[in-house]
Amino acid sequence: MIRVQDLTKSFQTRTGRIAAVRGISFEVQAGEVLAFLGPNGAGKTTTIKMTAGLIRPDQGDVLVDGRSLASQHDWVTARMGAVLEGSRNLYWRLTVLENLLYWGAMRRVPGRLARERASNLLRRVDLLTRAHNTVQTLSRGMQQKVALCQALMHEPPVLLLDEPTLGLDYESSESIKGMVRDLAQNGTAVLLTTHQLDIAQELADRVAIVRDGQVVLEGQTAAVLDRFSRPLVQIVAAEPWPADLERRIYGFPVTVTGPDTLELLPGDRGEQALYALLARLEPHPLARVERHQADLAEVFLEVVGTRSGT
Amino acid sequence: MNRLLIAEWRRMVVGLVRYPIDTIASTLTLFLVFAGLFYGASYITSSPIGGGRLSTVVLGYTVWIVMMAATGDMAWSVQNEAQNGTLEQVMMVPWNSVWVFLVRAVMAIVGMLVPVGAVLLALLAMTHVHLFWRPAALVPILMVIATAWGLGLLVAGIALLLKRVGQVLQIVQFLLLFVIVSPVAVLPGLGWHLASIAIPFAAQVSLLHGLLAAGATPTAWLWLESVMNLLFVLMGGIALFIGADRLARRQGILGHY
Repeated sequence: MIRVQDLTKSFQTRTGRIAAVRGISFEVQAGEVLAFLGPNGAGKTTTIKMTAGLIRPDQGDVLVDGRSLASQHDWVTARMGAVLEGSRNLYWRLTVLENLLYWGAMRRVPGRLARERASNLLRRVDLLTRAHNTVQTLSRGMQQKVALCQALMHEPPVLLLDEPTLGLDYESSESIKGMVRDLAQNGTAVLLTTHQLDIAQELADRVAIVRDGQVVLEGQTAAVLDRFSRPLVQIVAAEPWPADLERRIYGFPVTVTGPDTLELLPGDRGEQALYALLARLEPHPLARVERHQADLAEVFLEVVGTRSGT
Repeated sequence: MNRLLIAEWRRMVVGLVRYPIDTIASTLTLFLVFAGLFYGASYITSSPIGGGRLSTVVLGYTVWIVMMAATGDMAWSVQNEAQNGTLEQVMMVPWNSVWVFLVRAVMAIVGMLVPVGAVLLALLAMTHVHLFWRPAALVPILMVIATAWGLGLLVAGIALLLKRVGQVLQIVQFLLLFVIVSPVAVLPGLGWHLASIAIPFAAQVSLLHGLLAAGATPTAWLWLESVMNLLFVLMGGIALFIGADRLARRQGILGHY
């Protein structure tokens, strides 16, 4: 659906040229959400703006359905919708409906169809009753929902979202997440950048982590999480450990991590060690036994490191 | 193109209707200025108002304010979009950005001529004065407006790169004033004729002056110079705006303010 090929960009500053993006490539297929993650200054926004045609790359290209942004700019951008970070995306003095109709017309959507789409989109985000309110009177969460609707007026097959849930409350974030999920299920290719790693983990089919202008990790979200999961088993007791815990766990590669938790590193003995330890702990009641599963925050910290991490 | 026109027309009308006090105040200002022209002339000369000289003053002033609006509107539009954070969305629509800002400029002029026309009609009815003008003057007036759009695109291009252009516009307006009072196109010598092709409005102002004030029939050469001036400035403005757009995208500063 959308293929980003070898994008490279450097900017001239007073102290010399700085490479913002260095040969970034990735693809987002129809119906897929790619979370494009990285610390501040890693090159995420520059990449997304190059993808949208707002920044001209020094090298590389963006292809949508095989057509090049460099040579067919209007055709390609007509198939993209974008909610840009830090940008208001909307005219605050126009009403919600006026904004949607305006941006629909600007993207060549016929009037009657635009009205129909605007109503459907506003219904979907529970803002139909606010259609005739000016955007400046809406909450930040509502404005962001309208910005998303604006980006969807021409039903683009590719959606670019730069920090779409930044500064939103839980309810608004959930609403945006639900909409992104629905869009992906209906075949939209979504490129998402966010610092909210829990949201990325929930939404993304694939993740790409960028550092210093380069993709340093890319893969299916589940596979990436598995790859970074440690062979640890956490055992959580239903009540504090007994006084003779030290004796019971003697000889096992165990770390007591709390008054009612401990972690086992089974090592070469694998499940045998786990079952042997569980037998030793009996009859103390246990709440749960679970294998360690990395989350995206752990992956991010490990990949990005502390040098430039946020 | 129709959708773009309709979208921009609606956006402009909404702006006028949503802020009625502002709309009424600007119309009232226009009324007062034109009333000043109508009645002021009579007061100063102690003679009944009317005649060819008043027509020239009124039409000259109308052309001047339309010219100023056409020159500055696109730059203000770019500056406001950048300030409001919507410029990048505008630059992402599948229309050439030149078209978008030109259509906005056309709408702005239409939106300006409606109240100007209404005010003029009202004053003509109130004063029972007839304005004398030659329909042939409409062509150079349109040429002046189109040339102003060319110059406006140039300033808008600067706005794409620098964002704040209020002072640049003031300098441009000052230079235009200088051009208008300088009879470049009717000065003898090839150099002046070439200058009247390159300097915005130089030929058209002489053309208009001939048609409205002097009652003369302009030469074919002056018409040709005016057309060439229009093409030179408009094409130059388009080329410079496109160049500025490319440079802004290359420097990654479209979203800056």
